[in-house]
Amino acid sequence: MSRTTEGAKRTILAVFAHPDDESFICGGTLAKYASLGAEITLVSATRGEMGRRMGNPPYVNRETMPDIREKELRKACEELGIQELIFFDIRDKMVEFYDSERLIERIGELMEAKQPDVVLTFHETLGGHPDHCAIGKATSEAFRRAQQKGSLFYITFGDAMEAPELFGYTKQDVVRIDVRGHLKAKLAAFRAHRCQTEIDEWVWLPDREALAKLGGHEYFLAGNRSVEPLVFNDLFQARLDR
Amino acid sequence: MDHIDKQKLQAAFALFQAQDVYLHSEATSFVFVRNFKVRLEEAMIAGDGPYRAALRFDQAGWIRAEGLTHYELAADGKLLLAGYDERGRMNVALQLGKEPFPE
Repeated sequence: MSRTTEGAKRTILAVFAHPDDESFICGGTLAKYASLGAEITLVSATRGEMGRRMGNPPYVNRETMPDIREKELRKACEELGIQELIFFDIRDKMVEFYDSERLIERIGELMEAKQPDVVLTFHETLGGHPDHCAIGKATSEAFRRAQQKGSLFYITFGDAMEAPELFGYTKQDVVRIDVRGHLKAKLAAFRAHRCQTEIDEWVWLPDREALAKLGGHEYFLAGNRSVEPLVFNDLFQARLDR
Repeated sequence: MDHIDKQKLQAAFALFQAQDVYLHSEATSFVFVRNFKVRLEEAMIAGDGPYRAALRFDQAGWIRAEGLTHYELAADGKLLLAGYDERGRMNVALQLGKEPFPE
């Protein structure tokens, strides 16, 4: 964000499917930009209430899950510096069956209200889960219809986008964010999602060992491909330098 | 939730028999049903743990679940049965309510 941060506040609108998407996939980047003063609004389309991980040992059941996951997500947002959290209250696993026009409209209303510089969502085919792909598709369509001035980026998993050619993209499409300074916040967010992460022993190792398991970079695919990204390590510069 | 106690569960089942009930059931990630409304005739439990349960409804209907380990008669009167694996993941659920579950 560096030189481009002067003046107006930068805003990010992240539109995801489940509590924990924001932390597990791109928590380092969100923590980084939050620490630089960005205003971040997170949408979770569902409350993740159909998840199978119930804590280890289990402390959640199907009917207590929505409230527990909301509380854990709120804690994760605090750890990452996300100021605003919005639920669409679509049932978990049912996003692709929700009225798509209504979904596009709801996201469009948020874009109108927030005027985000950067929109983050899932890629509509590489999202990896039907809810992810559905929310990504609706968000992309809302972005196109709103003729947003900002940038649209797709979040990606791990370091898969070190080799974008495997997915039909080139390095020109990829923005790589250095999150090495923000792994503590990312780990804290993992731990906030306690019922989802207790099963993963590495998360609960002593900090130094757990931090070593987290990658130092997160990768984003440029979503509005009509313009060439010129800077590949900053979501905001990628926009402003076009 | 508590580990299933067959006698206590039978007593809990009795609260729902011979009336209209709403069902929630699921098995791993492959299928779930929520708020199926049926006329429950009989609810049965079998096995020595993990347990099997079967519900007989609407004269011709069956639902059967296995791998059940835990149950809870919740404060709102709903009866929740679940099967957890050794790492806390829920493999199976079978739930009864006299009122619908939240949509």
